[in-house]
Amino acid sequence: MRTFCLLVLPNDTLEDIFVCNGCVGSYGSILKMSRNFLLPKSRFCEFFNYLKGLGKFFAPVRVSEQSFSFKEIENEGEIAWDALRTILPPKKFFYPQRETVLKYDRNEVEATVPEDNFQVIFGVHPCDLAGLGIMDTIFEAAPGDTHYTKRREQSLVIGLSCMPDKYCFCQSMGTSCPTKGYDLFLTDLGDAFFVQVETARAEQMLAGCNGLFSPVSENDKDSYKEFWIERDKAFTNGFEPDNLRSTLDMEWDNPLWDELGKRCLSCGNCTPVCPTCYCFDLVDIANLNGQSGERQREWDSCQFVGFAQVAGDYNFRPTPVDRLKFWYRHKLHGFDDPYGFKTCVGCGRCTVSCPSGIDDIVDVVKRLQGNNEQPNK
Amino acid sequence: MNNPISNSRCPLTPTRGVIRSIIPMASDNTLFQITVDGDALSDCMPGQFVQLWVPGVGESPISVCSGHVGATVELTVRKVGRVTSALFQMNEGDWVGLRGPYGNGFPVEAYRGKDLCLIAGGLGVAPIRSLWQYVLDHREDFGKITLIYGMRHSIDLLFRSEFKMLLRRRDMEVFIAAEELCGPALPPISVQLGRVTDMIKAASLSPTVEVAVCGPPVMYKYVIDELKAKGIAESQIWLSLERHMKCGIGKCGHCFVGGAFACKAGPVFNLPQLRLLPEAVECA
Repeated sequence: MRTFCLLVLPNDTLEDIFVCNGCVGSYGSILKMSRNFLLPKSRFCEFFNYLKGLGKFFAPVRVSEQSFSFKEIENEGEIAWDALRTILPPKKFFYPQRETVLKYDRNEVEATVPEDNFQVIFGVHPCDLAGLGIMDTIFEAAPGDTHYTKRREQSLVIGLSCMPDKYCFCQSMGTSCPTKGYDLFLTDLGDAFFVQVETARAEQMLAGCNGLFSPVSENDKDSYKEFWIERDKAFTNGFEPDNLRSTLDMEWDNPLWDELGKRCLSCGNCTPVCPTCYCFDLVDIANLNGQSGERQREWDSCQFVGFAQVAGDYNFRPTPVDRLKFWYRHKLHGFDDPYGFKTCVGCGRCTVSCPSGIDDIVDVVKRLQGNNEQPNK
Repeated sequence: MNNPISNSRCPLTPTRGVIRSIIPMASDNTLFQITVDGDALSDCMPGQFVQLWVPGVGESPISVCSGHVGATVELTVRKVGRVTSALFQMNEGDWVGLRGPYGNGFPVEAYRGKDLCLIAGGLGVAPIRSLWQYVLDHREDFGKITLIYGMRHSIDLLFRSEFKMLLRRRDMEVFIAAEELCGPALPPISVQLGRVTDMIKAASLSPTVEVAVCGPPVMYKYVIDELKAKGIAESQIWLSLERHMKCGIGKCGHCFVGGAFACKAGPVFNLPQLRLLPEAVECA
């Protein structure tokens, strides 16, 4: 497999590093820069307790031998530091699987508003942060989604560095380094975290715990750079990304889609686990009196047979081949309009959760590109 | 994030409307006149649609079929699914919800000053009606107008009294065709035996005519072929696509055509635009 030497650091450039420990209160002056400092691991417990005091604290927790899930935790010992991909991505915190969007009775229709509930989401890896960035774009586009944005405003998202496993291919999707979607990002330097503060909101919240941090030294900067270089070399999975859009366009009629479609169960597993799958259904739940009820929004999947069906039983994507091909194109080619970006972030969740083994994106892309090497997994 | 979106009104919340009149039409179609509070729909343009909500049942995307929308909006609805069946059980005075208007509608600005050919198949006549009403309201802004309306059975002809008037007008040409002539004759409306494509053949269309088409998905390929055979450029052929519009605001994903939201970028596209979108229409 091809070796990649793309190195992007999680800041535009390291020149942007701006050490101003204790410079809280003047948020305006540092809005365009991220502030960096060091958090010794020995003080992480205090940091955790401080954040815990702000609201509910969610972090990846081991839920079975091989799976992790973002759950509310009470003490820092519950954090699964080795978690790579959780079963569901962190989109669930802002866009829950089911939520009520309005209530009605005979006299009025009332939009519901999410509760005031501050939450800290800790341990979000770069792929999932990129996913949140994409969800932000979609839900904030006019007319903006009030439920999503309210929850997003009430959350502090803390990113965490990671080392890729054999399913990770964020490097190929250009999402291996965090650029958006987070308030704080922690890079693990062994005995300390290199912390980057990205938003004024985070800066404000950290005002009460600045004593835990120490300034970044030249050595720390070197360790930080070294970490990201090492991480970049650690990827074993991936493909040549430059021609992705044109490949997907060109190979729309490739027989590979038929081969994969025949094996597709249309179970829809690939969509709830995807950090950027946002499709939903709207359903009415009427009360027994027939006069009142509510309207709920719930996650839907483009892999379900009725997804593109219109009244009169005309289905625009009647077969699993049509639906699978559509999903692949949306992820890897992305929007034609209005956003134009790809919607795969390379987390590998679909690959590990597909019961038919047809969501190995890297393998599929390589085959479409004409590279028939056997997958190395 | 200091975003004001969360303080605005949830875009999925309908405005309450009251059914003012229910006018049965041919076959399983009915014209609903619904009034809404305020000016929620007053900026509606031809070819746009609304989400009609029957509380407790669900929403259905319905084309607005009137060219000028004030407090009252006209919707032609066919009883085909769960929501429309529930709507047909309702009475005048009952309340429903409406959201919209959604979609880009027909590009009336681009049509200004040009000859127009409006082609409707079956229930596709509903959005096309909003366009001819608009165009006739602004008659002096447009050139020659040709209206072609095809259906399977002549008994399915909708807007009969309106067509009687249109057929009398000297400033437009109207062709009505049915694949099968059945039921009583409808004088003075002359329904010819044939398809929409036969009417396109018969019509005399200038090469610069702008064409607006709405009908069942199967119709498009044949209509496109026929129009191109008459030497009409692809960029002048505008198709209104039917898709499953669930949210209407470019979020829920149901209406995707390739990677474009039909509810927001469409539903009206011209042929060059559609050629860039896989799974849009079949055409040579």
